[in-house]
Amino acid sequence: MALSRRKFLLGATVTGAWVTWGALPAWGVGATASSAQFMEVSKLLINHQLDETVGARIAAAAAKKYPQCAQMLTSIAALAQAKQAKQVEDFFGDIPEGPLQEFAHWVIFAWYSGCSSPKKDAQLFTFEHALTYKTTADTVAMPSYGFSGPNLWSRPIVPLSNMPIF
Amino acid sequence: MSNPTSADVVIVGTGVVGVSIAETLLDAGLSVLMLEAGPRVSRAEVVENFRNLPLALKGDPSSCYPPAAWAPHPMASIETKEDAYLQLSGPDRYAQSYIRYAGGSTWHWAGTCWRLTPEDMRLKTLYGVGRDWAIDYQTLEPYYTRTEYALGICGPSEPAEQWPPLSEGAARSKPYPMPPLPFGPGEQRFTDVVKTLGYSNIPTAQARNSGTSYDDRPACCANNNCVPVCPVGAKYDAATALSRIEAKGAKITANAVAYRLETDGANRVIAVNYFDQNKASHRVTGKLFVLACNGIETPKLLLMSANARNPNGLANSSDQVGRNMMDHPQLTMTLTLAEPYWAGVGPVVNSGIMETSQGAFRSEHAGAYFRFNNFARNRFVTFGALKKGLVGKALDAEIRRMTACTADVVLAHEVLPDPNNRLTLSDKKDWLGLPKPAIHYDVGDYTRKSAEVYSVPIGKRIAQAMGATDIKLSPQFNQSKHIMGGTIMGLDHKDSVVDADCRAYDHDNLFLPGGGAMASTACGNSTITMVSLAFKAADAMVRQMKGA
Repeated sequence: MALSRRKFLLGATVTGAWVTWGALPAWGVGATASSAQFMEVSKLLINHQLDETVGARIAAAAAKKYPQCAQMLTSIAALAQAKQAKQVEDFFGDIPEGPLQEFAHWVIFAWYSGCSSPKKDAQLFTFEHALTYKTTADTVAMPSYGFSGPNLWSRPIVPLSNMPIF
Repeated sequence: MSNPTSADVVIVGTGVVGVSIAETLLDAGLSVLMLEAGPRVSRAEVVENFRNLPLALKGDPSSCYPPAAWAPHPMASIETKEDAYLQLSGPDRYAQSYIRYAGGSTWHWAGTCWRLTPEDMRLKTLYGVGRDWAIDYQTLEPYYTRTEYALGICGPSEPAEQWPPLSEGAARSKPYPMPPLPFGPGEQRFTDVVKTLGYSNIPTAQARNSGTSYDDRPACCANNNCVPVCPVGAKYDAATALSRIEAKGAKITANAVAYRLETDGANRVIAVNYFDQNKASHRVTGKLFVLACNGIETPKLLLMSANARNPNGLANSSDQVGRNMMDHPQLTMTLTLAEPYWAGVGPVVNSGIMETSQGAFRSEHAGAYFRFNNFARNRFVTFGALKKGLVGKALDAEIRRMTACTADVVLAHEVLPDPNNRLTLSDKKDWLGLPKPAIHYDVGDYTRKSAEVYSVPIGKRIAQAMGATDIKLSPQFNQSKHIMGGTIMGLDHKDSVVDADCRAYDHDNLFLPGGGAMASTACGNSTITMVSLAFKAADAMVRQMKGA
């Protein structure tokens, strides 16, 4: 009986016999990543609530940008599971440098910036749900979405330690 | 419905100058026909354009105003050298941004409305540099007040916080129609810090509704999006006035690119020719004509209208059309701060240090004004934070820290009129086959010396007092997008294009009001002075028409 890809990856990680994801056969992995799979991995890479609609847009872009997207998502999920990770800090260091880590950073980039790259022709995934704005939502309004009433912005300086929950 | 072809007054341009004149003329019972090169769009459309831009373009004030093929305007963030609209040369780049849309560039202005001082208008007499104005401050003051009420400009009632400072010759005839807007936390901290250096950071007089509705527009609610567009219309922009002046009888034809003025045997203007978006040519006639299409498009149209009687272009017997191009050359200090300031709470420009623009030093070098840029910082710092490769709590903390603990302080300078800073017609053509503007520009030693011995040293002292741990100063002067000087005003027709009413010396029924007529720049934004000149010109037009 053939090993599932997840079992193979787990075994490789646990025994220290890690090889880069690109060298692995795609046993048991679908040819294309699903939105659900993308969301599952996104929630492992980001410790916050994520919008499903935005995730579907990013997933579609990821599938185009990374031909082996499904395999990479599976690899990341396996690494997280191996550590029984509850947050990204628990396992991100286990993601090998190179294409897999670059992919993981791209997923995080997409959620935080709301677009596909820092270039001017980037694809926009979201403005209002871009996580960068959530980190300062207690004091800075997203441009074009004011949250205070007339003349109600004169307030004390908010400390850096008050990270909003999002 | 066919477009109208004649009116008492034909106005080219529907920006703040054009609509202010139009409303004055309509109220006096005159008929008005306005031509706008670009399209007419809704606020909702522009706001949606902004929201749908990728983050890298959200800081560009023009990006949510894509130019029409027939009415190009500068798009510095995306245009290539090959398709650039402005053809720039010289030691400094006159890289302006403006919008050819109905409503003009007030769509994306910050609303800042600093008056000139009496001294700003007498540089030659007081300091031996530049030019004196053809009018003095007392003559302009009633028009400043009129502008403050027409646009809805809020400002302080305390004389110590007003600009210009209360002095002999600078008295205000009326208070501002609305009180100033409160400071956000970063501006308040900046104000407290510069006070320790002896500087007063005072509330910006600005065309934005403070705590109340005004002129059928709502109160500002701190969307922090004045540039590139106010989502709710709390900030004045000329687009808010278009429907009102139409209700008063104005006829507005959009997508109408004026390309030539015709003159008769007496050298009076008799018609404007324009192309529509299908390249079909049309002709409109009138009794008076106003070119209010900004300090670049107005001189360009005058130069394009050269004819046998006016071989160097209309209004150009002085050879000053397109010369003396001016702006407020600015340097930006991007600071990393030890403690949070939280820029981005409130409107984008809300305060400034103006007193540094004045002094006897102006015989030697330019003055400067300093402002804390109050734009939300996320859009500027996000890529930098992500590039560090952080994840999880560390990434959140870094974005939050960089948003709170970075700030831009802008040093905006005055510049002198120099005939060598010149707009001409390029041999490169636009979509309609019309020449693109070519502009040679050098900010000059007067301004460069200011940066060297005055403004940058002050800026660094401010940065140090703010607790900056890192200072990045822009390596060259950038433009403030305050276009001035291309049709300069003066008392002598031999070295000036327009008289004290912005009437062309060469054509007694042609008016060229706005920033192009300004004879000095000072350091503060030019719009309130442009509109004040527009009202003065409009009064002259009414007198001329009623006396005719």
